[in-house]
Amino acid sequence: MNRGYMGRVLMVDLTKGDFREERIPDEVYEKYLSGIGLAAYLLYDRIPAGADPLGPENILGFVSGLLTGTGSLFSGRWMVVGKSPLTGTWGDANCGGSFSPAIKRCGYDGIFFSGVSEKPVYLYIKDRKITLMDASHLWGKDAIETEEILLERHGPGARVAVIGPAGERLSLISGICNDKGRIAARSGLGAVMGSKRLKALVLDGKKRITPYDREAVHKLSRKCNRWVQFQVPLGPSIGTALIGTLLRVLPTAMAMDGMVYKMILRQWGTGGLNQMSPEWGDSPVKNWKGSNVDWPLKKSKSADPDLVKKLEFIKYHCYSCPLGCGGKCSLTGKYSETHKPEYESVLALGGLCMNEDTDSLFYLNELLNRAGMDTISAGATVAWAMECFEQGILTLDDTDGLDLRWGNTSAMIALIHKMINREGIGDILADGSRAAAKKIGRGSEKYTVHAGGQEPAMHDGRQDPGFAVHYCVEPTPGRHTLGAQLYYEMFQLWKKVRGLPKKLPFQIYHKNSKYRATEKHTLEAAACSKYMNVVNGAGLCMFGTFLGITRTPTFDWLNAATGWNKTPEEYMEIGKRIQTLKQAFNVRHGIDPRANRLSDRALGIPPQPQGANKGRTVPIENRMEDYWRHFGWDPTTGKPTDETLAGLGLSVE
Amino acid sequence: MPYTIIDTCTGCGACERICPTRAITGKKKDVYRIDGDLCIECGACGRICPSAAVKDRFGRICVMVKRSQWKRPVFDRDTCMSCSMCIDACPANCLELSEAKGPKDPHGHPRLKDERACIGCGFCEAECPVGAVTMLVPVPKDESRKSKPAAEAAR
Repeated sequence: MNRGYMGRVLMVDLTKGDFREERIPDEVYEKYLSGIGLAAYLLYDRIPAGADPLGPENILGFVSGLLTGTGSLFSGRWMVVGKSPLTGTWGDANCGGSFSPAIKRCGYDGIFFSGVSEKPVYLYIKDRKITLMDASHLWGKDAIETEEILLERHGPGARVAVIGPAGERLSLISGICNDKGRIAARSGLGAVMGSKRLKALVLDGKKRITPYDREAVHKLSRKCNRWVQFQVPLGPSIGTALIGTLLRVLPTAMAMDGMVYKMILRQWGTGGLNQMSPEWGDSPVKNWKGSNVDWPLKKSKSADPDLVKKLEFIKYHCYSCPLGCGGKCSLTGKYSETHKPEYESVLALGGLCMNEDTDSLFYLNELLNRAGMDTISAGATVAWAMECFEQGILTLDDTDGLDLRWGNTSAMIALIHKMINREGIGDILADGSRAAAKKIGRGSEKYTVHAGGQEPAMHDGRQDPGFAVHYCVEPTPGRHTLGAQLYYEMFQLWKKVRGLPKKLPFQIYHKNSKYRATEKHTLEAAACSKYMNVVNGAGLCMFGTFLGITRTPTFDWLNAATGWNKTPEEYMEIGKRIQTLKQAFNVRHGIDPRANRLSDRALGIPPQPQGANKGRTVPIENRMEDYWRHFGWDPTTGKPTDETLAGLGLSVE
Repeated sequence: MPYTIIDTCTGCGACERICPTRAITGKKKDVYRIDGDLCIECGACGRICPSAAVKDRFGRICVMVKRSQWKRPVFDRDTCMSCSMCIDACPANCLELSEAKGPKDPHGHPRLKDERACIGCGFCEAECPVGAVTMLVPVPKDESRKSKPAAEAAR
């Protein structure tokens, strides 16, 4: 029976150099879907408790989604999973591009690596023939160069995922690239790949991916596509910036409809919010200490969406995406082109470091993509170093003569080069701000902003407390793609799932109500987490699901592709199961969930004296407890209780 | 159910050369065989076999078609959403994304990169959710030039 998934995974033991195919029973897919759920199911038992994330016991997995290749839209996301060396928790990173269907076309829903290879290797699969090939000649080359060499050798039909020098040098903030600059950056999984001496995966499979009812999937896709193609010209980008100002000044907020965000994505990409976001306090400034007062429109103009768009010569679509929020930009100088810098990269390397140089944003984006380093964590670490320098904790002697004043672009570029090459101070900073502060000491810890070791993304919990809650409570701390109050408004889950609070589009409410800790807020946060687990199991893109559950029919697609007849509530239960399993993974590895709490500064303790988030504090303790209680985890420790585990059909040790 | 080769095979090797997944193996002048695990049912072997020796998934003998008469994809740029599903679906890697036309249409669209590499399997058509790909028998160039004014006159 064809159900959209391939029903098999590949286990590669790099120490022995052997391969094992494993059949996955249908019940597993029904309980965990594919993608992130399948990975959590497989890795929970197989990574031994207390395993060294950079040792042979850790398992690194590349998984595709259940809906990938079935004809549904937005299903081009692949995920890297494993135990994160950055946080010590469950680690996953998500990436678009064309690699996701390539995994399935080789006949697998996931490819997992254990052990450590003696010499650098890469995995090559073609026509069911699996080989580990020597990668000594590729070691040390950057991600894009390596991809070009491998495509040259194995033909244009191959798809490549690769680490850059940052991953090879075990930088804990490194990621894994594909499509010449799309990167699964978070959780430091590039270092895990580097520790296994696995340089790349080259997949060239031709297997067909067959859903249960392709015509039904296509019918849903056609309907969804009509919403995606509906576009109103939004005018010059200064308009979005001024809306940001307006949202800041007004005492009320408005529930968002995903169609608005979709139109921004279509016109400018994620960078459409480059100026709007700092204006209304969504983006942190000056290492989370500053506000829109420090980063006014005059300064944020350096990342004006229209300015960025001018350099774009073609839109970039991931596999099966009708939206195309990415782009390719032409550059002058060392590199001739780059993927359009995303919102997160621009704000992390811009406002967070007070860097006003537009050219440097493009250059650093390309540089970090080639090195395979996370732009969010790299930007946040540089911002932290800059604050330490301003506070006198770091001196010119420590920084090898780099004058790390706020906004000193040339020093920033030099520092990032050092981080990639692990030279001098760069060697300390290449492992993220928490590890660096531990090495440097001298009170530098209080300037770090992280959750469980991972730097949070450029969405401020003091503006939308939902972000802060998810940074703290998720089994992968510090991630912004798992939930927020804003996301809940856009997902519109109440239209399909019973018992969820309604938040009608464009409904106006007082800003103060965002900062309470009520039952409603808990339900919203839990619904986001559960739904995003379903989305990551299906391999869908979060931006696609922002259109709302009726326009992007995740549950209907799943039913059509698999032939199941599950209700939305049943899918949410699957999401809950995956979430609980990931949390149980953390507990098994000795992680105290309370320790993943976000740094005080980012929670508004003490509150900011000025700017968009003036006087705002997130009631995080109550929110965390409520969230844990909702999931049936112990509200004081955050550990899943035995009854909860048994109720979800999870084995209790 | 994969394709199979029956005893009438003369061992010419045409199917082995065209198979995009290298599922067909054999010795010249001997009966070739298809590895069912690798076969993706594209049907290229059946269309090229001169001795009617290939059975399709339903057990029917495939009929040979002249290569110039094989269907090729034609793309409708207006309905196309640039999602590149067709490019990924193509087992012969003969599709590619075009350059953007300019600020009015900044998206790349699929096009046939290598006409001779196309095996006419129609997977691109089958996997396109919006029906922007149609498989058509190509019209010879001089004929299409002749028929163009006629088509315009008909409008």
